[in-house]
Amino acid sequence: MTSPAIAVDSLEKYFPPAFSGWRALLLPFARPTERALAGVSFQVESGEAVALVGANGAGKSTLLRILATLISPTRGRATLGGFDVDRQGARARSRLGYHTGGDEGFYSRLTCRQNLLFFASMNNLPRAAALERIDETAGWLGISNELDRPVRTLSTGIAHRLGLARALLHKPEILLLDEPTRSLDPLAAADFRRLLKDEIVRRRGATLLFASHTLSEVEELADRAVLLAAGKILANDSPSRIRSAAAAPTLEAAIASLSRRPAPAELRS
Amino acid sequence: MNSASALGKIVAFFRRDFAIARGYRSALVLEILEALFGVATFYYLSRFVDSPALEQGLPGGASYFAFALVGFAFFDYLGVSLTAFEASIEEARQNRTLEALLVSQTPLPVILAGSAAYPFFTLALRTCVYLGWAALLFGFVPRSANWLGAAAILFCSILAFAGLGILSASYNVLFKRGNPAKWLVLGVSGLVGGMMYPVSVLPHGLRILARLIPVTYSLEGMRAALLAGAVWNRLWPSIAALLIFAVILIPLSFAVFAWALRRTRVTGTLTHI
Repeated sequence: MTSPAIAVDSLEKYFPPAFSGWRALLLPFARPTERALAGVSFQVESGEAVALVGANGAGKSTLLRILATLISPTRGRATLGGFDVDRQGARARSRLGYHTGGDEGFYSRLTCRQNLLFFASMNNLPRAAALERIDETAGWLGISNELDRPVRTLSTGIAHRLGLARALLHKPEILLLDEPTRSLDPLAAADFRRLLKDEIVRRRGATLLFASHTLSEVEELADRAVLLAAGKILANDSPSRIRSAAAAPTLEAAIASLSRRPAPAELRS
Repeated sequence: MNSASALGKIVAFFRRDFAIARGYRSALVLEILEALFGVATFYYLSRFVDSPALEQGLPGGASYFAFALVGFAFFDYLGVSLTAFEASIEEARQNRTLEALLVSQTPLPVILAGSAAYPFFTLALRTCVYLGWAALLFGFVPRSANWLGAAAILFCSILAFAGLGILSASYNVLFKRGNPAKWLVLGVSGLVGGMMYPVSVLPHGLRILARLIPVTYSLEGMRAALLAGAVWNRLWPSIAALLIFAVILIPLSFAVFAWALRRTRVTGTLTHI
C-alpha cells in the first residue's frame, strides 16, 4: 500500500508567549504554552486537492509552515511522501513547492529570470533545464513578457505570480499554498485556479494543500475542505457534504454554523 | 547532498551577489578611493612615528607603515568573518527570501557558505587594492615575501575566523539584533591582537589574553611571511595555532548553530524580523 502524499497525525503546536522588553531575550528558552494546533489528524491522497479553511488564527498557516519544515511540531507527526517533516526535513522538502501568497521574497535588483534561475539552482535544477522550465512556467502564469524586468518594477500581482512560478519550477509532487490568489485580480485569480486544477492537479497529478479565505475558490478547487477552529478540526469532507451536514445553502453559512458549535474534542471532555 | 552540488550552489550565490553588486558600480569606485585615503593615512602616520629604534622592534626590521598596513588589511578578515554569516541571515530575513531559501533543497550550512562567498571575494580584492595603492604610491615593496606562506596563513585564518563567524550567526538566529559577542571579539582582538602595535608593548595580562585569540597568530604569521619573508619553519607555529582554533571552533560553531536553529523552529521565530 502506498503512503498518502500528506499524513498529519495528532499534530500539536504550542508557541512560547510573546515577551517584550528585556524578557524578549528569554524567548528562545521559554516554555511553549500558547496553543496553535491541538491534535490535528488528516490525510491527503496523491493527486487530491484539499483546502484548509477557518478564521484568522485557526492554525492554517501554522499547519502549512510545519509541513513546509519551517517550524517543528510540539507533539505528533506529519509526513510528506512518507518522510517525517521534522526528522527527515531535507527529503520531505525535495517533494514540496511552497508559496505564501505574498509578493515579497525576491532580490529586487535582479530580474525575474535571474531570481528564478537562482531559486531553481537551490532546488537542484540544472541551468539548461531551469531556463526551459522558467519559460514554460512563465507562459502558464502569463508573465513571459516580464521575465527580463527587475523585480522592483513589478506590480503586486505580477510579483505574486512570480512567487507561484518559483514554487512550481521544480515540478513538486506536493504543493502547499497559503492564500494562493490573495493579491491577484479576479481574472488572474480565475486563470490561476484553472491552471492549478487542470494542469497541475488533474494532468500532472500533483497533490495540493492550500489555505484560503475565498470560499468560492475552495468550492471550485478542492476535493475536500478541512475546517479548522482554534487549532482543531471541525469538519473534513467535500465542500458539498459539509454544506449538507450543516444544512446550509452555502459553504460560508455551513462554516459559520459549524464554527459556532463546540469542537468534537470539547464535547467529549 | 554531494560536494559538487554544494559547490554549484555556492557558485549560484556568488553569481547572485555579483549581479546585485553590478547595480552599485559607484560603490566600487568609492571603496577604491577610500582604500587610498586609508593607506595614505598610515603612510603619513608612519612618517611621524617611524624611527630606527622602532623598526628594530618590528618583525624583519619592517617600517611602521608596512607593519600597520598589513595589520589593518588582514584584521579585516576577522571583521568580515564575524559579520558575513550573520549579515547573510539578517539580509535574507529583511528581504523575506529566507523562507524561500529554507524550503528549498539547500541545507543551511550551504546557504551560509554561499552567502559568505562574495563578501570574502570582495575582501580579497580590497586587500589587493590596499597593497596596490601602497606599492604604487608609497614605496611598499615586499621583495622577500613568502607568498605561498602568506596564502597558507590566510587560509588557516579564514577557517579559524569562520568558526567565530558561525558562532556570531547563531546569536543572530536566536536573538535577531545587537550581538554583544561580536563586538567583544572585535574589541578585544583590536586591542590585544597586534593590529596597530606589536603585542610585546602590552602589559603581561593582556599579552596572555592575546595568546588566546586567533587574530594574534594570524597577524604574526602574515607579517612574518610578507614582511620578513619567513620560511615555513618559522610560520608553522602560527599555522598550527590557527588550525587548533579551527579544529575547536568549527565543530563547536556548527553544533551551536544547529541547536540555535532547532530552538527557532520550536519558537517559530526563525523568519521573524
